[in-house]
Amino acid sequence: MDAAIAFLISPPAVLLISLLFEGIDRKIHARMQKRIGPPVTQPFYDLIKLFSKERIVPITASARVFETMPMIAAAVSLLGASILLSNILSGSSVIGDLILVMYLLAMSSVALMIGGSASGNPYGVVGFSRKMSMMIAYEIPMFIAIISVAFGSSPSLAINNIIRFQISLGLPLAASRPSMALAAATFLLCMPAAASVVPFDIPEAKTEIIYGFLIEYGGPYLALAKIAKAVSNFALTLLASAVFLYVPLLLGENVLLNLGISLSLCLIESLLIMFVTITVPRTVLARLKIGQAFKFYWMLPLILSISSIILSSVGL
Amino acid sequence: MKSPWIFHLNTGSCNGCDIEIVAAFTPRYDLERFGCLLVGSPRHADVLLVTGPVTRQMLPRLIRVYEQIPEPKVVVAVGTCASSGSPFLGSEMVEGPVDRIIPVDAYIVGCPPRPEAIARGIIMAVMSKFR
Repeated sequence: MDAAIAFLISPPAVLLISLLFEGIDRKIHARMQKRIGPPVTQPFYDLIKLFSKERIVPITASARVFETMPMIAAAVSLLGASILLSNILSGSSVIGDLILVMYLLAMSSVALMIGGSASGNPYGVVGFSRKMSMMIAYEIPMFIAIISVAFGSSPSLAINNIIRFQISLGLPLAASRPSMALAAATFLLCMPAAASVVPFDIPEAKTEIIYGFLIEYGGPYLALAKIAKAVSNFALTLLASAVFLYVPLLLGENVLLNLGISLSLCLIESLLIMFVTITVPRTVLARLKIGQAFKFYWMLPLILSISSIILSSVGL
Repeated sequence: MKSPWIFHLNTGSCNGCDIEIVAAFTPRYDLERFGCLLVGSPRHADVLLVTGPVTRQMLPRLIRVYEQIPEPKVVVAVGTCASSGSPFLGSEMVEGPVDRIIPVDAYIVGCPPRPEAIARGIIMAVMSKFR
């Protein structure tokens, strides 16, 4: 597909798919608790409702920052996800590489944090500081895993080159070498924290600090924040499925040439990744304390990612 | 409206109604199948569930929480205390019932009301207000 067309249709497609993913996640979560659960289209209803509500800016907030940050968060994560999707769609890497996508996704949570801390609510500030510590905990292993992938694949940071490298290998990157398997494991372990779901939802603990930095956001601002979160979760799962585990190549040339089939395989795979790294932990686990989460991330994923770098530097 | 988000405020209730509200979200009754969520911040809410007869201490808080909810909003009085002030009516410590202070869209009587009744009350209030 032409790169310009791919980039044009990507943002609405990303928005639709990521909201659908969130709906599926909520449905599976409910079914795992033996509930009927909301319909799969529930996130759309939520957004329509939120956009039609009143805008309230608290008098304690610094209004400009409070108002603009959700927009920046939504725009930035939408941009990151559509760069990723349009890279897969167009089959050429003209627009951006892995570092840009990771930066945009991190940027969207930073924007939400800043907006929340500008709300003047003490819980917002608590959420800000907790998110800060969490980002230090999970972003470092995640970035090391990405760097390890970049070294391990031909070396390149362009998403499309990594996909092509996997096709030329005939294997998903995670299955190709031990160092890449470790990098993939690190990335998947960092997913629940990046999506801030239950074992690691410390920054926005609902029953503890009442959504942290989202506490004063209501109506359209909250809708934008929800979009930012849903889209960045989807982008992370799609990134994992495209960069580490590009499965369509296992089904041979015919599948690879057909864009529709390979893309839908990719999406089904990211749905599976979402189920394993987001839905299951948030259903079966309980919230950790910030110290425990920090310890976990600097014990297991950090060691995994550093050993992945070491292994890939000795050629394994 | 298909996603009424619920904020629950206890204005001096005995906790009976509060437990029944939580029970309405359990797997047996599962209010989330109508899109309802129990939210912790009034800024996120559409529906204010008030339990209790509104004690003098809770009066300014009730008004403040009501004003913090963005329009359009629905108020549901849960339980006999919130609906009519029942055994506490006339006490000098009690400013209620709720409809003396803020406009109420639905009354759910019962001491405590059953979770089915709470679910029905919320859905009816939302349907009548938003259509």
